[in-house]
Amino acid sequence: MADNIRKITPLLLDTPSHEMVTDLIVSYAHAMDDGQIDLWPGFFTDSALYHITTRENHDQGLPIGIIRCSGRGMMADRVKAFHTANIFEPHCYNHMIGPVVIGPGKSAGAVSSRCNFQIVRIMEDGRMDLFATGKYLDEIVFEAGIARLQERVVVLDSRNIDILIVLPL
Amino acid sequence: MLTATQAAETNLELFKWPPEGVTRAPYRLFTDPDIYQQEQQRIFRGRTWNYLGLDVEIPNPGDYKTTTVGETPVIVTRDRDGTVHAMVNRCAHKGALVCLKKKDNVPSLTCVYHSWNYELDGRLKGVAFRNGLRGQGGMPDDFDVSKHRLQPLKVEIFCGMIFGSFAADMEDVETYLGPDMAPFIKRNLGRPLRILGTHSQTIHNNWKLYAENLRDSYHATLLHTFYTTFKVNRLDMDGGIILSDKKWHHISFARRANLTEAAEYKDSNVHSASYDSALEGPGLLQAWEEFDDGITHSIQTIFPNMCVQFTLNSLAIRFFAPRGVNKTELFWIYLGYERDSVEQSQMRVMQSNLTGAAGLVSLEDGCINEFVQRGTRADPQCASFMEMGGRKVESEKSSRATETSVRGFWHGYRGIMGF
Repeated sequence: MADNIRKITPLLLDTPSHEMVTDLIVSYAHAMDDGQIDLWPGFFTDSALYHITTRENHDQGLPIGIIRCSGRGMMADRVKAFHTANIFEPHCYNHMIGPVVIGPGKSAGAVSSRCNFQIVRIMEDGRMDLFATGKYLDEIVFEAGIARLQERVVVLDSRNIDILIVLPL
Repeated sequence: MLTATQAAETNLELFKWPPEGVTRAPYRLFTDPDIYQQEQQRIFRGRTWNYLGLDVEIPNPGDYKTTTVGETPVIVTRDRDGTVHAMVNRCAHKGALVCLKKKDNVPSLTCVYHSWNYELDGRLKGVAFRNGLRGQGGMPDDFDVSKHRLQPLKVEIFCGMIFGSFAADMEDVETYLGPDMAPFIKRNLGRPLRILGTHSQTIHNNWKLYAENLRDSYHATLLHTFYTTFKVNRLDMDGGIILSDKKWHHISFARRANLTEAAEYKDSNVHSASYDSALEGPGLLQAWEEFDDGITHSIQTIFPNMCVQFTLNSLAIRFFAPRGVNKTELFWIYLGYERDSVEQSQMRVMQSNLTGAAGLVSLEDGCINEFVQRGTRADPQCASFMEMGGRKVESEKSSRATETSVRGFWHGYRGIMGF
């Protein structure tokens, strides 16, 4: 069985299920872990916000973190830069996602969710490091029965990044 | 028997800089623990001004922040009368850290180990059980609180930045910067500042490789290909390098070459400087002309270990703290001005994507210096070759295809290290 297979979820438009939300979150992580970075913008709505910041900035309400993509276009530019402009030592991630808690979203039909994550980074020479821990604060909407991120705020526990970030968290 | 310090001195006496001078930097400079120790003494505890933070980080009486000067832990405080003090974060009793948090607000400083208590300026106020308990123990009769204190640094605030020096007779910061550097700091930071966000990045290389990297205008378009990949029409190919009188600080700048075009941009409206590009999210480069000198990109280093960046409207301080001979923590402190409109703030926020640990135009610097560290560590006797733009160490006002400011760094470094 292909390891990138995604579960088909029922179209529960009126009562978006916990399952659709967790499928989205897990599929996203698996896609990143499998190096399918081209799929990344597709997990978001066209006008979505993707923001990586630190707990320190987040708690103080400071607007600048580490990455802020406003709209899918900026995410596509990140993907293009990853393939053609940016220089870095090859590596990949393994996301471990904790249980997902969901609640009512900011707009009608939307869902807010939070889960913790840990990301191990694997370098080409075999070195493995605990690269990031933190929480995903997500705002999820349902477009034609498909769950998409309207907002993903990645709050890192540490202020410090080892080396660099080029793959989305 | 030789002590470790004496052995280090002896070891360093044998160190000879190559006869080619500052066009060569021996690889040993990046890996030798003795040289690293000497730098602590001669540079960070020597005749330099070290960046300690920003005035706005500790606005209220009793505020403190902790930082490092080289590897020495330092506390910066705001006293009740508003004065800023800096002192070594090491109790005068047993040497424990006195302040543990990154920031806090306290009435006085107390060491947690034995409760030695200090004024906000570092003077010792009192010692627990000074007179003993029930008449037993206590300090000797001749114990004098005025003879013990937290070791002070000389402090000066310049354009909102707090600088500290271990040299008690250090000249003022403006003199240290020199006449070519100080006005540009005033241009960029000489008005009330606002912090928009911070983070740090661990880079696995000696601090001097990052100091070189910041001054290396030669690599900019070669390693960082974001602008060319996205066909960003910057109109600012014109630029140059200015070295300070001591050559160890520098400014690298790029300005709009075509003044006619710039004037047209100016006429339309304040956001007119949006750049042509192949970006799908062009909001990234929405910018406005902040100054009338036409300079759109600049990096200004202050020896030993900081710089001020102004990339379009993205203003930031980068401070790189040595964390061992082959490890450096690079701090990114993103700034705006108090006077900024909401729109201007938003543009600074979007442009912050260009730099930092995930910066579209800068992330390569997170690994490139490590590549040099790893490439050179096996051959300390070999040296780098830096003759782009000639062998001189002079300002170069019309080209950035030069390593003159890297040579300038080594010129200053050799002077203060006695190499």
